[in-house]
Amino acid sequence: MLINEADRQKLTELFSKELNTPVRVLVFTVDVNDVSNGNSDCMYCKETVQLATEVGELSDKITVEVYDLYKDRDTAEEYGISRAPAIAIVGARDYGIRFYGIPAGYEFTAFVSALINVSKGVSGLSLNNIKRLGRIDKPVHIQVFVTPTCPYCAPAVQLAHKIALASDFIRADMVEAQEFPELATHYGVYGVPRTVINEDYHIEGAVPEDTFVLHVLAAAGKITKEQAALAGLV
Amino acid sequence: MELNLSLGTAAPAEVYDTIIIGGGPAGLSAALYTARASRKTLVIDMHPGAGALGMTERIDNYPGVPEPISGRELLDRFREQALKFGAEIVQSQVVTTDLRSDPKQVITADNVFQGRTVIIASGAMGRTPSIAGEAALIGRGVSYCATCDAPFFRGKDVAVVGHSEMMADELPTIANFAAKVYLIPHGKLSPESKEIVTQHPQVVYLEGARVVKILGDDFVTGVEVKLANETAVYPVSGVFMYLTGNRPVLDYLDGSVQTTEKGCIAVNMQDGATQIPGVFAAGDVTCTPVRQVVVAAAQGTLAALAADRYLRKTGRSGSTSPESVDSASGL
Repeated sequence: MLINEADRQKLTELFSKELNTPVRVLVFTVDVNDVSNGNSDCMYCKETVQLATEVGELSDKITVEVYDLYKDRDTAEEYGISRAPAIAIVGARDYGIRFYGIPAGYEFTAFVSALINVSKGVSGLSLNNIKRLGRIDKPVHIQVFVTPTCPYCAPAVQLAHKIALASDFIRADMVEAQEFPELATHYGVYGVPRTVINEDYHIEGAVPEDTFVLHVLAAAGKITKEQAALAGLV
Repeated sequence: MELNLSLGTAAPAEVYDTIIIGGGPAGLSAALYTARASRKTLVIDMHPGAGALGMTERIDNYPGVPEPISGRELLDRFREQALKFGAEIVQSQVVTTDLRSDPKQVITADNVFQGRTVIIASGAMGRTPSIAGEAALIGRGVSYCATCDAPFFRGKDVAVVGHSEMMADELPTIANFAAKVYLIPHGKLSPESKEIVTQHPQVVYLEGARVVKILGDDFVTGVEVKLANETAVYPVSGVFMYLTGNRPVLDYLDGSVQTTEKGCIAVNMQDGATQIPGVFAAGDVTCTPVRQVVVAAAQGTLAALAADRYLRKTGRSGSTSPESVDSASGL
């Protein structure tokens, strides 16, 4: 068992109180023994499936679906998944909440929070920030790079996921940097949390909700450089 | 495989009467008073040796303690007394807070704590990036968190700057990943820290050295180090910073508490009240004009008394005993 008995009890109680509507946990994995898929290197696929399965056992409102990235290509494409291990958390609809890499260590908190928020279908952001995000009218992709031992990363991931919940145009990924070194290298990640918005916009470190939302607006071109400077973003 | 799953902010938390952020003389004095009055009290302390008092070698003028005493030892006595009256102390770093919610939330790296009142006593050992090149290379090789970032420097050479106990605590983590670690102390290492250094042969201790510049355009490429009267460049890919300064430590408050022009928490000096009901501050974080242990302790006491009055006034207490701080203290 990956989740100890004490935490199982806590989570069972938490889920019974906090989960409103059913949540689907779609886990994308690869068969590491199948060389034909060309991607037999998956550091934590097995553990990610096991972790999701154990969480799914704690509430009848959680359904865990396990897919093979290659054999279930249609489903992977439907959810925009191109790497494994990956988890999509889907509620009444797909809010664009993803975990790339195992949500272990401090990130387990972000995983549990995502389940609850998706089940409620409520972001929990301030009304002012929900209103601000309503100005987003084009796709925005947020990637928060983390390590499981980073205490500051889970709050950044949770915030990114809440922002995705608040806007139909925004999707947000947790990316565990050590499991996806090619992505970490591509985005120049040498410290975490590092948040990449739409490929070329970066946030270093964890920031408060208001600041994160303003960064998203700046990356989406919804505030001017002058406004961004006034808000202390640059 | 050990996953170290953290339930953190997702887990339900009990409600404390008073949460105190900071385990220095102000925070522990406050804890002593609230705990003695049977207020359910929690102190969140980043590190017992991280504050100004913990790093002080010798104290001669603390009333009632005639013999010379180290800051760390005096702090241990404060802690022992607070624990004796039932305060809980956890070692963790506060990441963020929600002081307007009811109950108030104090979120650490691995937990969420809820309190009816909060006393901020996180001291004034903060700093802004001041070494040439440091600010520009944050996240590009300059790091303040070994547990977060050390894996990025697997097999590479790095520098570690500072001589604090936190540095000594995190040095083994860095040494686990890096090929070579240049330790640039900016001061004197304690015997305990020296012992840790000797246990890691990949650590090169540059005694007496200081970093004058961090080099690199897009990413860190090296450090320029001054040693005696000579300057040398050490090629490194990462620099882990453990320097301290004298600015109030407020980053975790995200601007939620009103501050003065000097960046100190604005308080009513009579009782440490901030502009948020139920939130108080004490000690160096308020930029008291006299930075003395006894002043910080007194401010912590005033904040504790005020927190107790607030709890009584609002009728909000999770305590099993209603005894007040005033009556418990004999005031």
